[in-house]
Amino acid sequence: MLTREEGEEEQEEEEEAKGRRRAFSINDNVDLLAEILGRLDGRSLAVAGCVCRLWSAVGRRDSVWEAVCHRHVAGGGSSAAGGGCSTRSVVAALGGYRRLYRLCIGPALDRLAGSAGGRGSTTTTAAAAAAHHLSLSLSLSLFSIDCYERLGGRQQRPASLLFLCKPVDVS
Amino acid sequence: MDSKATGRKGCRQRGGLLRRDRYGCRHRGPPRATGIRGRLNGVAPHDCRSVERAPVGGGGRARQGTHDATQLTVTAGPLPRVCGRQCRPLTYAVPSLFVPPSAPLCKTRNGTHLNHLGQSSTADGVKSRAGKSDDPASRQDRSLRSLLEEKVKNNMKRERQETVVAAETEDQKGKARMEAEDGGVDELLAALGYKIRSTDMADVAQKLEQLEMAMGTSAAANDDALLSHLASDAVHYNPSDLSTWVDTILSEFNAPSPPLPPPPLSHATLQHHFDLHPAGTEQNSTITTVDIPSGPRCPAEAYHLEPLHAPAVTGRIVNGSDTQSEVSPSSRDRKRMKLCTSPPSSSSTTDAATSPAALPVVVVDTQESGIRLVHALMACAEAVQQDNLKVADALVKQITVLATSQGGAMRKVAGYFAEALARRIYRPQPARNLGGSTLDFAAFDDMLHQHFYESCPYLKFAHFTANQAILEAFAGCRRVHVVDLGMREGLQWPALLQALALRPGGPPSFRLTGIGPPQPDHSDALQEVGWKLAQFADTIRVDFRYRGFVAASLADLEPYMLLGPDAGDIDGEETEAVAVNSVFELHRLLARQGALEKVLGTIRAMRPRIVTVVEQEANHNGETFLERFTEALHYYSTMFDSLEGGVSAASDAAGSGGRRNQVMSEVYLGRQICNVVACEGAERTERHEALAQWRVRMGRAGFEPVPIGSNAFKQASMLLALFAGGDGYRVEERDGSLTLGWHTRPLITTSAWRITSAAC
Repeated sequence: MLTREEGEEEQEEEEEAKGRRRAFSINDNVDLLAEILGRLDGRSLAVAGCVCRLWSAVGRRDSVWEAVCHRHVAGGGSSAAGGGCSTRSVVAALGGYRRLYRLCIGPALDRLAGSAGGRGSTTTTAAAAAAHHLSLSLSLSLFSIDCYERLGGRQQRPASLLFLCKPVDVS
Repeated sequence: MDSKATGRKGCRQRGGLLRRDRYGCRHRGPPRATGIRGRLNGVAPHDCRSVERAPVGGGGRARQGTHDATQLTVTAGPLPRVCGRQCRPLTYAVPSLFVPPSAPLCKTRNGTHLNHLGQSSTADGVKSRAGKSDDPASRQDRSLRSLLEEKVKNNMKRERQETVVAAETEDQKGKARMEAEDGGVDELLAALGYKIRSTDMADVAQKLEQLEMAMGTSAAANDDALLSHLASDAVHYNPSDLSTWVDTILSEFNAPSPPLPPPPLSHATLQHHFDLHPAGTEQNSTITTVDIPSGPRCPAEAYHLEPLHAPAVTGRIVNGSDTQSEVSPSSRDRKRMKLCTSPPSSSSTTDAATSPAALPVVVVDTQESGIRLVHALMACAEAVQQDNLKVADALVKQITVLATSQGGAMRKVAGYFAEALARRIYRPQPARNLGGSTLDFAAFDDMLHQHFYESCPYLKFAHFTANQAILEAFAGCRRVHVVDLGMREGLQWPALLQALALRPGGPPSFRLTGIGPPQPDHSDALQEVGWKLAQFADTIRVDFRYRGFVAASLADLEPYMLLGPDAGDIDGEETEAVAVNSVFELHRLLARQGALEKVLGTIRAMRPRIVTVVEQEANHNGETFLERFTEALHYYSTMFDSLEGGVSAASDAAGSGGRRNQVMSEVYLGRQICNVVACEGAERTERHEALAQWRVRMGRAGFEPVPIGSNAFKQASMLLALFAGGDGYRVEERDGSLTLGWHTRPLITTSAWRITSAAC
């Protein structure tokens, strides 16, 4: 009797242990989460940040946004480590990759996709085409101009990137 | 000129007030000039016939669905209510001339699509008319004549117009679009029961004018009298085939109509005509009088037979709020006006460019009027060149009038050129502020420049391509020095600093010398800019030094000032690499003899690695005024077109921001236009020259061209792709220099130069 009960208990424990091993929560592996989130596009990443506080915190990491930027922009992903470091520091000084995406790359991609879509190409090719048409250096230049404008006090809103913004119907 | 905006904006000419005046004046005899019309130097308004016809019957018939009614009956009695289906069909002797509504008009005035006169394509209509034309013709004529001698004619027309308008509004609220009018039978009119081809509209309008004149004009007195007359013994033709109908009547009249130099129909006028109707009908007001709807909605029919009798649209071309206010008071004059006037907002939206006066306006086709406008501009320039100021003066007025019939970019350009010509005519001594020497001008100019930077890609293109050339020239240098001949806000340099920070090998130590004009309020704008740049450079960790120079003219600079003490070898450090950058600055030096050579000599003395020059690609420095004028006209028309296409696409719904940018950019360009056209001598600083001429000048000064690499080309193309409306922009490479143009016309050119190696 006892042996059978012990056996059952052992079995249950084993099963529990196996269950514990089988239950994998992404929230326990934040680096993995960051890696995954870094493969999204900007909009999806922003949406992912609404899931929970952990995801929001991970989604705000600049490294995640850096991966996003490089993935969606030509010319940035293959930089050497040294180059990558300097780029990172410069971008960090200017406000970070997340800001870069929000201000420059995002609107630019939307604009390119929009114009490409307007010309009749499908959305999939449009996104690909958009990526090829935008380079990191160009977006960094625009970003830097915007950052410079913000430096000059608050007397005027920086407007150099307005040409990228979608028009808002304020009627 | 490019009338690309025609379809969208259409004509803004509103001849409607003419109609109103005529009606209002009819009982007084010949129409007198009122309002703006009156200001037209005593133009006799009645010289121009106003054609106001309302196919009331058509409207009625449309309601009843009997388009091919062979006999139209006149119903006497209370005037039909505009708002409802109670409108009775009225026969009318003369259909009104409605202007085909242009797109913007139609949008606001649903149902104002008054008849487009055109050729009826209905065989039935023709046959039915033809059948009747013989016998009843004379009878009809007589009865018509008698009727028309009454003063009720006006009322009838108005009534008809109103009913038509009402009908149209009712029936075609959703259909009031101008799109119908291309070719074929005009849709809007067809809905009313008139089958008229757009191409024939001018003709028909003209004939209607003749008809109306032939029948005489009389002030409206009693509605009922005329109506009862009409009810009793009028025999009418089916006017659905308007053009043949009019022909018939005219021929029967044998009225000695004065020879009409046939100006083609003006979309603007037609639109104006349109405006009149819907405004009233939208109100669903009870129309107890046959008065034409209030002011802005006056039928636009006034024929302007002689262009020089310009209607009162002078200067009031854009933005109807002005015209609106003008129109309303004069329209209120009409005693019989019982219509509720449409709320100013609706009228103003539709009457965005309503000509305020009911003066005869030129009824011209947009394209033809565009051609006439250009001819007028050229003629005026010629007159100015020949010092024929009277003729030039008259032509300027005509230009202003003609400009109202255009839309969008062409109108604005014409406006600016007309203003510049007027300045030149009336003030031979060049105004100082046009030359840019007053302080207010300078301050305002900065703001305009800023808006111009934001709204269109030209400056950004210039900055990016110049930066790329400088970046490539600085490859491998540890100390660099950039001299900016026109510092302004320094928007070019953050991008260069960032690019230098990210270049392989790390950033060099960067020195910037900025040169700017003296400020009106003696503030040190250059220093502030330098401070901002220093802050920026600090954040990205680039070693940065700055120096500002205030110089009224670049020719005052000497090499020793610019090079400064750090230029030479310091303890074995390599000499700094110098780059000189000039964006739209060098052409100003051409105003003074020898200034450019001196400056180029100064630049050369600094031994720069690269000199980047961005200039407009146009020759506005020709020998004769006419040459410069023609060039400027083409150049700025293209510029304004690009503004229209680029900015409006981007900021369609962006409300005031985008519009303001566009307006500011236009003002900025308008100043340049003023300078090119109205100033002479030292005041004329906008002496643009084409690349070929700059090559010669630079070659003479000892510089040779450096080809700008493909990186710059790619970056520029990418940048332009980001601009909404960027389809029109083209980047081209030409002999190593990059040009940015709008469609086929190059507008600005970036070129790079270095000291000729042989001369070193």
